[in-house]
Amino acid sequence: MVSLTINGKLVQAKEDEMLLAVIQRMGIDVPATCHHKAVEPFGACRLCTVEITRPEWDGWTKHVTSCLYPVEEGLVVSTHTPQVIELRKTILDLQLARSPKARYIQDLAAQYGIMRTSFEEVPDGNDCILCALCTRVCDEMGFRAISTVNRGHGKEVAPPLHEAPPDCVGCLACAQICPTNFIKYTDNGDIRTIWDKTFEMLKCEQTGQPTITRAFAEYLTKHRGIPENYFKLGDLKHRHETAATMGRVALWERQEKV
Amino acid sequence: MSITTPQQLEKLHRECRAKRERDKKRVIVCCGTGCLANGAAEIVEAFHKTLKERKIEGFSVEAVKETGCHGFCEQGPLVVIEPHGTFYTHVKPKDVANIIDKSIADNQVIETLLYTDPVTNTKIERYPDVPFFSHQQRIALRNLGKIAANDIREYIAVGGYQALAKVLTSMKPDQIIQEMTDSGLRGRGGAGFLTGKKWRTCASIKDEPRYVICNGDEGDPGAFMDRSIMEGDPHSVLEGMMICAFAVGSNQGYIYVREEYPLAVIHLQKAINDCEREGLLGDNILGTGFSFRIRIARGAGAFVCGESSALMKSVAGEIGEPRAKYVRSVVKGLFDKPTVLNNVETFANVPIIIVKGADWYKSIGVPTSTGTKAFSLVGKVKNTGLIEIPMGMTLREIIYDIGGGIINDRPFKAVQTGGPSGGCLPESKLDLPVDFDTLTKAGSMMGSGGMIVMDDRTCIVDLAKYFLNFLVSESCGKCVPCREGLYQLHRIVTRITEGKATEADLAKAEKLSDAIVLGSLCGLGQSGANPFLSTIKYFRDEYLTHIREKRCPAGVCKALIRYEINDKCTGCVACVPACAYDSITGEKKKLHVIHQDKCTKCGACYAVCTYDAIDVI
Amino acid sequence: MTHDFSRLPELIDRHPRSPESLIMILQEIQREYRYLPCEALMQTAYALGVPLSRVFSAATFYNVFSLNPKGEKVIRVCVGTACHIRGAALIQDQLENLLHIKAGETSEDMKYTLEVVACVGACAMAPVVTVNEKYHGSVNPSRVKKLLKDK
Repeated sequence: MVSLTINGKLVQAKEDEMLLAVIQRMGIDVPATCHHKAVEPFGACRLCTVEITRPEWDGWTKHVTSCLYPVEEGLVVSTHTPQVIELRKTILDLQLARSPKARYIQDLAAQYGIMRTSFEEVPDGNDCILCALCTRVCDEMGFRAISTVNRGHGKEVAPPLHEAPPDCVGCLACAQICPTNFIKYTDNGDIRTIWDKTFEMLKCEQTGQPTITRAFAEYLTKHRGIPENYFKLGDLKHRHETAATMGRVALWERQEKV
Repeated sequence: MSITTPQQLEKLHRECRAKRERDKKRVIVCCGTGCLANGAAEIVEAFHKTLKERKIEGFSVEAVKETGCHGFCEQGPLVVIEPHGTFYTHVKPKDVANIIDKSIADNQVIETLLYTDPVTNTKIERYPDVPFFSHQQRIALRNLGKIAANDIREYIAVGGYQALAKVLTSMKPDQIIQEMTDSGLRGRGGAGFLTGKKWRTCASIKDEPRYVICNGDEGDPGAFMDRSIMEGDPHSVLEGMMICAFAVGSNQGYIYVREEYPLAVIHLQKAINDCEREGLLGDNILGTGFSFRIRIARGAGAFVCGESSALMKSVAGEIGEPRAKYVRSVVKGLFDKPTVLNNVETFANVPIIIVKGADWYKSIGVPTSTGTKAFSLVGKVKNTGLIEIPMGMTLREIIYDIGGGIINDRPFKAVQTGGPSGGCLPESKLDLPVDFDTLTKAGSMMGSGGMIVMDDRTCIVDLAKYFLNFLVSESCGKCVPCREGLYQLHRIVTRITEGKATEADLAKAEKLSDAIVLGSLCGLGQSGANPFLSTIKYFRDEYLTHIREKRCPAGVCKALIRYEINDKCTGCVACVPACAYDSITGEKKKLHVIHQDKCTKCGACYAVCTYDAIDVI
Repeated sequence: MTHDFSRLPELIDRHPRSPESLIMILQEIQREYRYLPCEALMQTAYALGVPLSRVFSAATFYNVFSLNPKGEKVIRVCVGTACHIRGAALIQDQLENLLHIKAGETSEDMKYTLEVVACVGACAMAPVVTVNEKYHGSVNPSRVKKLLKDK
């Protein structure tokens, strides 16, 4: 265990924890738009920046992103200094310039007193805030079907060659993790369409309800050892039981708890 | 032939040196970047062809050496006749026959090809007497212009690989690291981190394998020092890397070369191949049990890949997005293993420090910035080229004594150092000594060595816009402060150059810059606001003139200037076809007129007019 | 545009078959075909065992790669600092106007591609324009037309 000070309060933390986990555990509200429990921290939005110092630094301070900075014995952390607050305001202001209609950003910005962007709105701006949660969770799921393409200001999330991604199985992890609901998909019961790719839905044998795409089911059977007949029933209790037996928890279940 | 023991290396060194001393008479053709672009290859060809025809006694085609950059690019193509050191400038292929007949066969000097000192107006015969060279101290560039770039035997003849033999046979890794630390050598890539300290940290990490990477990305536009070293003295880089590898315990090295330098890749690969053939790279080097291999990794056009974590990702075949450096790359670098990353110029200094000792190196320069630094002196200066000077020389000495002052003797306005991440220093700072800390304190930085000189016809606001545009297009796009912040900062500065900004915009830009500096993930972003911050520091008035008066004092910002023909016009009609937009009308011998509604301010007419008849208002 | 993709395996084999070689292999392909055809991206992904999304990321991240075919003459205006100070922007304007394309584009007749490049390291000869890798130094805005006619 490690002892450190956050906003004047002495706290204990596990040795390999990042600052952000400890901060959130203390109930302190530090925004972190590119952060999610399901994926490794990324350090892209910079909103979780905090000021750190140590007694032996004689007042010298440093600014780090708390999502990626590991706890240290004796560290002194301040999450809401005037400088840090100014930084968060500017970042949210900048994000609003790119995604003025994204409700998620509007709400966050309002919390920091920013009702509309003070910058020029970016031409071709849209609701994608480039948090890359979708591409990272797709990597985590094992498909790596989509990625960030281009560089700099033209960066965007896209399937390869801007066509239906060959590695996508329609699991919807990307759409579910997207904080601004930018990733759209359609489900008409028989067919699911996402990223311009269509998927046949499997149906529960009892209720006829669509459960999962055939492609995803085949992947799980082939690569994760989940038996084929698991997918014949869509019953929630059944899924929990089987999942517990298999020792695995599918993402959508983890989402419900998180 | 394979060099398998230090004794064999020593023997080869004596043989090569003796041969070099025997074949004293040589023709050196500078094949540095500038001279090559100006036709050096044709000159070499002319020498080969003419010598075959002429058959001079005691002088064969082998005595024509293609070397690396001499540095005096403004005067190229350059040819030097050794051993006298006769220095010929602006050589053309048609001069070659004359050079062979007079200077090689007959030891005569061809007056018309000599350099004329603009101050004394006299011709100078030998290049060491040329002020451009006599003010310099070439250490990292020691072999450029002296040895054939592609010949390992020439490198060995002048003492190459002696340092390697010394460390492998008589020094322990600890001692080598101590020597580097004592020398005070600081990274020449821009950050100026103590080289010895970096090596020591890497060597102390208990993880394997360890890697040595040479950063040959040289992304700063206007800088070509590393290119010249990689092309003109590739072995010095290899030797430096080998010594580092032995000191930190590495067996695998990489040289990351920028995509835009294909010749550097060719020369480095040849050097590596020659070393492998001779046994200087590979297993059991010089029979000491030390093994080391070097691979070349090519950049693919991304300035951000000059940043260490992005570079390592690129070497690993990924996109060059930097990572937050809370764990330094010397601890977890390439493939998450301990890695030493040093710049080309840094490695080029290593062999000579080992041979001549830390005390010698420390005695040059200033205590906190020992040794010398190579600079590419470019822009509105008379003598543009590649130079190397001891740390502590002042900007004034560099720009005026070596650089020869401003072209056309126009007023000096500013000198930019450190590339896009650096800053501009005005006339009042000309007497500052050039060293890492002084430049940083003044609001600029050493950077990799690009030194751009500007006159009164350079608009500082336009320059800030230019650098910001560069950084916006080179940003990797991962983090918000850099991707969005630099974009918006560029938009504000652009509006200033268009006369569409207010003073409130200036305050906004300053506040935005703070966020960019504080919040960015990597060095590109963290220094990304410098083009604005360093220029507003010393040239605030120029910004205010653009904003308040909507005027560009330097006559550059298109939206704020007009080109007009005055009464000096003789009606020579030269400007009419020069205009690509058909905006000038005029008959022969009659006053011409520029139609403002069609004029795009491209400046082509201004460039061709020889009567000073076009004003920029 | 049809290509002979039978050379692809040979190009890919010039480097070890591991993810590390991705950028080097893409460069071989870019040099051979003067752009990155889709088929080449897919074969590379398959050969190296990396997902197509990652190959596409690399292909769009780095300046040297082009997803569109280039023209017969690739004209590059150096817009490095030294060249900028000596008027590169004017030269770029001239070329854009003469060729009726913007930097980064290729003319419809596939004769010319116009590009800007950050620095080619020939700063002493600024401003520099290269035509198919041949260097032209100290380019004057009025000489631009002649430059295009050069072989």
